[in-house]
Amino acid sequence: MKNVSIKNFLVAMTAAATLGTAGTSYAEDPIRIGGMYILSGSAATYGEFAQRGIDLAVGEINSSGGILGRQVEMIYEDTQGKASVAIQAARKLAYSEGVDALVGLDSSGVAQGLVPTIPALQKPLIITHAATPDVTGNLCNAFTYRISVNVAQNMKAAALVASETDATNWTTIGPDYAFGHQSWEFFGNYLKDIKPDVNLMSETNFPRFGAEDFTPFIDRVMDSDAEGVLISVWGGDLVNFIRQANNRGFFEKDLEVMFTVGAATEVLTALGDEMPEGVHLSTRYWYEAYDNDMNARFVKAYLDAYGNPPSYNAQGAYAAIYAYKQAMEAAGTTDGPAVAKALSGMTMESQNGTVTFRKGDNQAMVSPNWGVSGPMHPEHGIRTLTNLQIFDGEEVARTIEETGCKL
Amino acid sequence: MKTKVLMAILAAVIAGLIAVPWIASYFYVFIFTEILILGLFAASFNLIFGYTGMLSFGHAAFFGIGAYAMALILIHLEWPFLVSLLVSMGASALLALVIGFLSVRLNEVYFAMLTLAFGMMVFAIAYQWRSVTNGSDGLAGFTLGSFGLGLDLTLANPSVYYHVVLGIVAIASIVLYLICRSSFGMTLKAIRQNPERVSFAGLNVRTYRLVAFVIGGTFAGLTGGLIAPFLRVASPELLHWSMSAEPILMAILGGTGYFLGPFIGAAAFVLLETVITTYTQAWMLVLGIILAVMVIFFRKGLLGTVIDWWMEVKK
Amino acid sequence: MSGIGAALLNSLDIGLLLFIIAVGLNIIFGVLNIINFAHGALYMLGAYLAFTLINLAGMPFWAALLLAPIGVVILAVIIDRVLLRFIYSRDVADSLLLTFAILLMINESVRMIWGSGIHVVQPPDLLSGSVQLLGSSVATYSLFVIVIGLLLLAGLWYLFNRTRIGRIMRAAALDRDMAEALCINTRLVVTGVFAFGAWLAAVGGVMAAPMRALDPGMGDKIIIESFIVVVIGGLGSFPGALIGALILGLIHGFGGRYLPEVNMLLPFVGMALVLLFKPHGIMGKGANA
Repeated sequence: MKNVSIKNFLVAMTAAATLGTAGTSYAEDPIRIGGMYILSGSAATYGEFAQRGIDLAVGEINSSGGILGRQVEMIYEDTQGKASVAIQAARKLAYSEGVDALVGLDSSGVAQGLVPTIPALQKPLIITHAATPDVTGNLCNAFTYRISVNVAQNMKAAALVASETDATNWTTIGPDYAFGHQSWEFFGNYLKDIKPDVNLMSETNFPRFGAEDFTPFIDRVMDSDAEGVLISVWGGDLVNFIRQANNRGFFEKDLEVMFTVGAATEVLTALGDEMPEGVHLSTRYWYEAYDNDMNARFVKAYLDAYGNPPSYNAQGAYAAIYAYKQAMEAAGTTDGPAVAKALSGMTMESQNGTVTFRKGDNQAMVSPNWGVSGPMHPEHGIRTLTNLQIFDGEEVARTIEETGCKL
Repeated sequence: MKTKVLMAILAAVIAGLIAVPWIASYFYVFIFTEILILGLFAASFNLIFGYTGMLSFGHAAFFGIGAYAMALILIHLEWPFLVSLLVSMGASALLALVIGFLSVRLNEVYFAMLTLAFGMMVFAIAYQWRSVTNGSDGLAGFTLGSFGLGLDLTLANPSVYYHVVLGIVAIASIVLYLICRSSFGMTLKAIRQNPERVSFAGLNVRTYRLVAFVIGGTFAGLTGGLIAPFLRVASPELLHWSMSAEPILMAILGGTGYFLGPFIGAAAFVLLETVITTYTQAWMLVLGIILAVMVIFFRKGLLGTVIDWWMEVKK
Repeated sequence: MSGIGAALLNSLDIGLLLFIIAVGLNIIFGVLNIINFAHGALYMLGAYLAFTLINLAGMPFWAALLLAPIGVVILAVIIDRVLLRFIYSRDVADSLLLTFAILLMINESVRMIWGSGIHVVQPPDLLSGSVQLLGSSVATYSLFVIVIGLLLLAGLWYLFNRTRIGRIMRAAALDRDMAEALCINTRLVVTGVFAFGAWLAAVGGVMAAPMRALDPGMGDKIIIESFIVVVIGGLGSFPGALIGALILGLIHGFGGRYLPEVNMLLPFVGMALVLLFKPHGIMGKGANA
C-alpha cells in the first residue's frame, strides 16, 4: 500500500512538472500574447471592450500574414481589479503559458502593484487603460510601456479647458481612491499655474468608489459657492451620478461641469439623452476625432461587429497589438528584452494619429480629447462632442524630470 | 499500520515540497508558495472555527495587518526579514487581542457579524487613511533586504523565497499542531461541543476562546507577513470580507475536523482555480457548485471523506 | 436649512429601500434560522429581470414590478427545494456557507446571461422628473420609493399583527420550538417564508432599477448593508429592520454630506457598537430582558 501512494504521488509530480514546461515556444508556433484585464465583477465591461479591440486587431493581423510569419494567439487572465491577482496572472502567463508579450491593466492600483514585478518576468508590457502617472514615473522600468493617456496628460488638458472658462471657485467630486485624489491634485496644480487667481476649494467630495447614492455629494456642491466642478467619477458610478444629478437639477445651476472620463462610449450608450447637453466631457480617445485610414477602418469594423461606437479602452488595446507587431518585426524576434528595446522611442501609426513611445519614460505621446456634449448622434444613439479639442500629446505631458522616471 | 502509512505519505509530501523548484517549472514555485501561505492562513482560522467553534468573518483583518506591517517596515525601516515577520505577528496579535476581547462574548451569528464589522472597519481605515496606507492602491514597490540571523539569502529569488516560506510554514504548523494537541487544544474542542459543560467544570470559557482567537490571529499575521513580499503589494483587498471568506472555504473544502484539512483545502482551492481559469472565466460558478456540494454532502471535507473511505476499505 | 431637508428625504428613500430588502433577510432568519448570503443576489436578479421585461420585452414598469419578483420567487422555491432543504436542521454556519455558494452561482450566471456592461432602466413617464419639496428639488421617483416603502411597511404590519399566517411567522421567529410543537413548521411554511423573503428582495431590486445602474456587482454591495441593517435593528425583528434601515439611511444621507472622511467607516462602527452594547439589536429578542 505504501509504495502505491508514493508512486502515485511521484506520477502526479512528474505530470505537474511536464505541464509546467509545455510553454516553450518554437518558430512555427503562434506568437502568444497575454491579456490581463478585469473580466469579472462590476468593472468587467472594461475587460470586455479591451477584448473586442484586441480581437479585431488579431483578426486583421492573422488574416494578412501574422507577425514575423507567425499567427498571433491571445491568452486572457482575469485581474479581478486586484493587484495581487494580477501579479499571479502575469506570472502564470509568463512562466506557464509561455507568452511572448503582455498587454492590459484597467486599474491604477493593479498597475502600481504589477509594474515593479515586470522586469523579473523579462517580458514587455503595454498598458492600455490604467492611468496612474506613477507607472511611467517613479515606478517606470525598461519593460513597461503605456499606449493610453495618463492622468497627468489629461489633467493638464483639463486645466487648459478650465482656464478658458469664467469660473474661479473650483471643487471636485471624485471616487475616494487614488484616481480621484490624483486627478484633483494634478488638475489643481496645473490650473493654478495657468491661472493663478483661481480658488481651489478646500471642501472637496470623495464618495466611496461603488457608492450607489451620490445625492449627498451633489447637494453639497450645489449648496457651496463653487463655480466649476471637476468630476472624475467613472463607469457605472458615473451613470448613477448623472441620473441623480439630473433629478436634483444639478445641470440647471450655473456651473462649469467637467467630466474627466465622461465621453467614454459605454457611459454615453447607457445614458442616451440623459447625458445633459453643454457639459465638458473628456475621453482618452474620441472615435470621431481622427481622420485617418486606420481609424476609419477600426471604427467601421467595430460598429459592424458590435453595433456600438468603439470605446477608448478598445482603441488602446487594438493599438497595443499593432505596436507589438511593429516592434517584433523591427527586432526580428519575439525575445522579450529585444522587443522591449524596440518599443523604446518607437513611432507608430495608430487610430489617433502618429504616436511615439517617449524614450525617457515609455509613455506614449497620445492626445487627450475634450469637447462639449452636443445633440444626439442620429445613428449611434449617444451624445456627440462639439467644440472638440485634440491636445498635443507631447505638450500636455510632464517633462521627463517631472515624471521622476530614471531609465 | 495506519499511522505508518500516514507518516510515509507525509514524508513523501514534504520531500516533494522541498523538491518543487528542481522538478517543476517556475510557475509551480509560485503556486506552491501561495498554497503554503494560504494553507497556514486557513489552519490559523481553523483553530478558531474548527476547534473552538467560532465562525469568524473577520480573519482577513489579521492577515492584512501582517501584510501592511511587513510592507511598511520594508519601505521605511528596511529591517531584516525575520525581525519584520515578528513585528507582523506582534501587530496582528495586538489587534486580535482587542477584537477578540470585545467579540468572544458573543455566540454564533452575533460573533460572525461582530467580527465582520471589525474586519470591515480595519478595511475602511486602510482604504481611507491614504497618508499611511496609500489608500486603495496599497503599498507597492518595496524591496526585500536581508533575511536575518546572519544568513545570506537572496529573498528576491522566487525559489529561495519558496524554501524560506516552506521552512517557516513548517515550523509554524508544528507549533500550531502542538497547541491543538495539547490539553489547551482539547479544552477548545470541548468548548465547541458543549460550552456549558466546560464552564461547569470550572474553566473560564471566555478566556479560552480569547486565547484561541489571539493565537489564530497571530498566525494569520505571520502569513500576512509572508504574503506581502510574495505579492509585492499590500492592498486593502487583503483586508476585505471576501478575503475572510477564503480561509472559511478552504477549511470547509479540506475538512474542518482535521489539522491538515485546511492545508489540503488551500491546495485544492489554488490548484482548482489555476486549472479551471485556464478553460473558463466562470471559475466562481464552478466554485459555487463545488462549495454547495461540499457543504451539503461532504461536510467533513476532502480529507474527512477520504479518511472515512479509507476506514471503510480497511474493514 | 434646505440642505437638511434634502438630506432627510434622501435618507428616507435609501432607508425605505433598504428596509424592503433587509426585512426579507430578517424574516428568513427569524423563521428559518438561515442567514441568507444570497439575498443580495436575489435583489440583483429582480433588477435584471425588470431590465429584461422593460427594455427588451417592452413591458411597462408596472408589469415588471409585478412579474419580475414572481420570476425570482420561482427560483427561490427551486433553491429551497433543491439545496436548502438539506441544511435546515444544521447550524447557522452551514446556511451561511451554502447561501454563499448560491451567491457565487447567481452572480456568475447573471454575468454570463446579461454580460458585464452597465444597464439602465428608465422610470415610468409618470414618475420621471423632479418636484420642489422642502426647499429643494426631489426626484419624483424617490417620493414613489418612499410611498411604496411605507405601503409595504403598512402591509407587513397588517400581515404580522392581524393575520393568522403572520402571527404564525412571528411566533416561529420568537420561539421556534413552540412553533414546531404546534405543528406549524411544515414544509409549506418553510418554502413559503423563503419565497416571501425572496419576493421582498426582488421587489427591492425592481424598485432600485430606475435609480441605480445595473451591474453584476450590485448584489454584493447591498448584502453587507442589509447585514448591517438587520444587526443594528435586531436579527429576526420586524420593527428592528425598519429602525436599522432608517439609521443606515441617515448615516448615508448625513454622513456623506457632513463627515465624508469617515463615511466608509461609520456603518461598521454603528454595527459594532450595537453588537457590543445590545448584541441582539435595538429591537431584537431579549432587548427588554
